Amino acid sequence: MTPSNNDVIFVKDLEKRFNDFVAVNKITFTVKKGEIFGFLGSNGSGKSTTIRMLCGIITPTSGQGFVAGHNILTQAEEVKHSIGYMSQKFSLYEDLTPFENIRFYLGLYSVPSAQWKERMDWVLDMAQLHEVKDRLTKELPQGWRQRLALGCALLHKPDILFLDEPTSGVDPITRRHFWEFITDIAGQGITVFVTTHYMEEALNCGRIVMINLGNIVAQGSPSEIVSEICPDKPDADLNEAFITLMSRGQQ
Amino acid sequence: MNPRKINAVMRKEFIHLIRDPRSLILAFIIPLSLILLFGYALSLDVDNVETVVVDYDHTAMSRDLIEHLDASIYFQIKAYARNANEVGEYLDHGSATLGIIIPPGFARKIKSDKGSPIQVLMDGSDPNFSNMARGYVNAFVAGYNNKLLLSFLNRNGLERINPPVEGRIRVWFNEDLESRKFIIPGLIAVIIMIAGAMLTSLVIAREYENGTMETIKSLPLSALELLVGKSVPYFFIALTNVFISVLLGQLLFGVVMKASFWLMIFGSSLYIFVALALGLLISTVTKSQLMANQGAILLTYLPSLMLSNFVFPITNMPSVLQLFTYIVPATYYIDILSGIYLKDLTFTQLWGDFAVLSLMFIVLAALNMRLLKKEGL
Repeated sequence: MTPSNNDVIFVKDLEKRFNDFVAVNKITFTVKKGEIFGFLGSNGSGKSTTIRMLCGIITPTSGQGFVAGHNILTQAEEVKHSIGYMSQKFSLYEDLTPFENIRFYLGLYSVPSAQWKERMDWVLDMAQLHEVKDRLTKELPQGWRQRLALGCALLHKPDILFLDEPTSGVDPITRRHFWEFITDIAGQGITVFVTTHYMEEALNCGRIVMINLGNIVAQGSPSEIVSEICPDKPDADLNEAFITLMSRGQQ
Repeated sequence: MNPRKINAVMRKEFIHLIRDPRSLILAFIIPLSLILLFGYALSLDVDNVETVVVDYDHTAMSRDLIEHLDASIYFQIKAYARNANEVGEYLDHGSATLGIIIPPGFARKIKSDKGSPIQVLMDGSDPNFSNMARGYVNAFVAGYNNKLLLSFLNRNGLERINPPVEGRIRVWFNEDLESRKFIIPGLIAVIIMIAGAMLTSLVIAREYENGTMETIKSLPLSALELLVGKSVPYFFIALTNVFISVLLGQLLFGVVMKASFWLMIFGSSLYIFVALALGLLISTVTKSQLMANQGAILLTYLPSLMLSNFVFPITNMPSVLQLFTYIVPATYYIDILSGIYLKDLTFTQLWGDFAVLSLMFIVLAALNMRLLKKEGL
């Protein structure tokens, strides 16, 4: 099995062990270009380990993985150039202004200096931060910082945007704006790979993979998963399907 | 290595430094106060030993002895006591550290060729000091005996004879044996360790504490680029400290470099590299600013002060401890600096120290890069 042209993420038998502990147990899935792909699982399910392998942060123990056409086992540098990553902490430098944060990322992504002005303006527009670009980041409200972090992750026009629990600790209005924005991004052809604990958010995803104890336990569209996991409950929702799946392994 | 990425990291570190002036103040206040404190307070020289004298003899000869004593730069007669008990009081209060008691019959015994003792009491609570004072007393007594013998021979019609063996001591490198000339180079080594290693020990730990390390790992940035970018601002801080120390040493304490200025800059830069690499390694390993800071004090500041031949001579240490001094970078840097400050040495004579420092730097940096690569950079 090899990645087709349309598969922006292709993973086969991907495994990660830490000594004897199997964090991710030979999982296989693909993500198509322009998809909003949800990766769901409880804490310690192997979710973060998978994301870190896909982002080239840690090396898999065995199996194959291609991200934007680059082999995650041998081309970590190329992988990192073609993705944007935003962690739940937003990972901004709070004693730097938005302008300085953006400039830091422009440098690290080696964006040619001729494009700096244009990319800077694009991010400030998108995140609506023009007026506060010279204020310290720590003075900005949570939602604004989130937009800034997102803008930084998109600066270099990546093929794939990885969002690791991007909305934890964010108020519902900000969260709605955030998802509108994500949908917009995906419409522009950027694939979005997102993990979340909020099942109502997962409904925004075109396709979902659920992972538990290192194994993939369900995949498909949200409605497919609900009807597969809870076939005899017509009014079941994704939340119920998730809890059913996650509690299976705990016994 | 991509210069654009290094530049981005470097700029960011500079901004951190400017926004949090506490660390900048630390970077310059500590060196300044150390130079002033150590330069003025820590003098290892012993001269003008405060002496109290009792003369039970009251003869021309005993007065002659006392005059000679007072004329020496090593002794300063603080008081004339009436009896031995009073000498004890002076020593108890610490207002004198040396007591000399000339017994009755001193001149008479000498004139009848019997030889007379004089009693010397010494405050031994500072062994280093009293050892030196004892040496002075011995030298003084020997010199005075010599003088007496010669005048005796001359009086008895014998020609002036020369002493059979005469040690003609000539001190090289530090002609006046001023300890300051050695303290300044040693201080520079300690200061660079503080400015270099203690400050950089915070910079990677800070990324971990802020959660930004996770993002950095996801960025196309190599361990080397991160380390170089983070080091640059601190390199210049440390180098500025070298300049300040050299300048203050010259202005305040009159300690002037004898050898090449550029050799000093070369050696200092190499030593700064080692200090930065050590600080960054501590930072990577501890991942916590508090731990890193304590680790840095333990691993950089204290060894540089204690085990580097600066305050305590390595040759006097127990052999196990002497082994440790070989891995203290300051040992080699102090060797370079004192060679440059005092001996007018050139690179050909100092290349061994340079080689060891280079090796230390390479090992520390390689180890750090390995650790960071394992973490995902």
